[in-house]
Amino acid sequence: MALLKKRGLRSAEIPTASQADLAFLLLLFFLVSTVIDVDTGIGMTLPEYVENQEVVEISKDRMASILVNENGDVLLDGEQISPSQITARLKPRIQSKIDMPLNKKLLISIKTDRKTVYNAYIQALDQVKEAFFEVRDEYSNSKFGKKYINLDEEQQNEIKDAVPIIISIAEPEKV
Amino acid sequence: MKFEKRRAQVKLEIPTTSMPDIVFMLLMFFMVVTTLREVTVLVNFTLPEAKAIEKIENKRLVSYIWIGKGERIQIGDSIAKLNEIQSIMYAKRQALPNIIVSLRIDRETNMGLVTDVQQELRKAYCLRINYSANIKI
Repeated sequence: MALLKKRGLRSAEIPTASQADLAFLLLLFFLVSTVIDVDTGIGMTLPEYVENQEVVEISKDRMASILVNENGDVLLDGEQISPSQITARLKPRIQSKIDMPLNKKLLISIKTDRKTVYNAYIQALDQVKEAFFEVRDEYSNSKFGKKYINLDEEQQNEIKDAVPIIISIAEPEKV
Repeated sequence: MKFEKRRAQVKLEIPTTSMPDIVFMLLMFFMVVTTLREVTVLVNFTLPEAKAIEKIENKRLVSYIWIGKGERIQIGDSIAKLNEIQSIMYAKRQALPNIIVSLRIDRETNMGLVTDVQQELRKAYCLRINYSANIKI
């Protein structure tokens, strides 16, 4: 009996003082190796592919056509403007059509040459998107007194219906 | 005169026994959040910059296509040819019906190639795309 008692006195603890250090080390590893890269970009929806395309006539006042040629020049409805002017030019035209039904809203067609540099196209597309976003923000500000992002879903849908983003990417002509 | 050191009577230690628990909690968070990079990018590219940028909320739906310098196209882990895109992307779309294709295209690429890729995507019914771009400040 006496023997058993003696054994009980021995300390059998694992030292836990360094546990925090170990955990920190692991934590640091994961902190360093984590890549929280959110993918940002310009979202688009492509039209469905159909074999024989129907050609639909669209009236001139409904459509704004942008052409970006291979030198990076921008033509808006046949008139040459600088790429940074696109937003300012399009905004009043989008705004004037807010109260119209969906089939009368402004449609923007972006066309490029086959040799246009991708960056020039993105800059033009960015300007167009910017115009739509600014109109949405202003419209929601006047209607709800808040910016578009801060609205709830129902209100956002209402704004989306009033200012839909309609962009058509025209195929470049084969040269 | 006898000086007596005045000491606070209360215990001044911060209990550190629960520190490992807190650290482990943080550790768990990072372990869950971490996505180890699963693809190696084989093409050389610089993204364009844009202002009107949106974030993709659902990363699980995203599938990438890279187009780098020298018209090299990469899907997944390997370089692909233009006429292979349709079958590869169609298979991906079958697995994930509402797939978003993120196009990471070099800024100097010709639009001709970009359009060709888009045509292939249309044929594969991958209609939601995203032109990847960095934020212009």
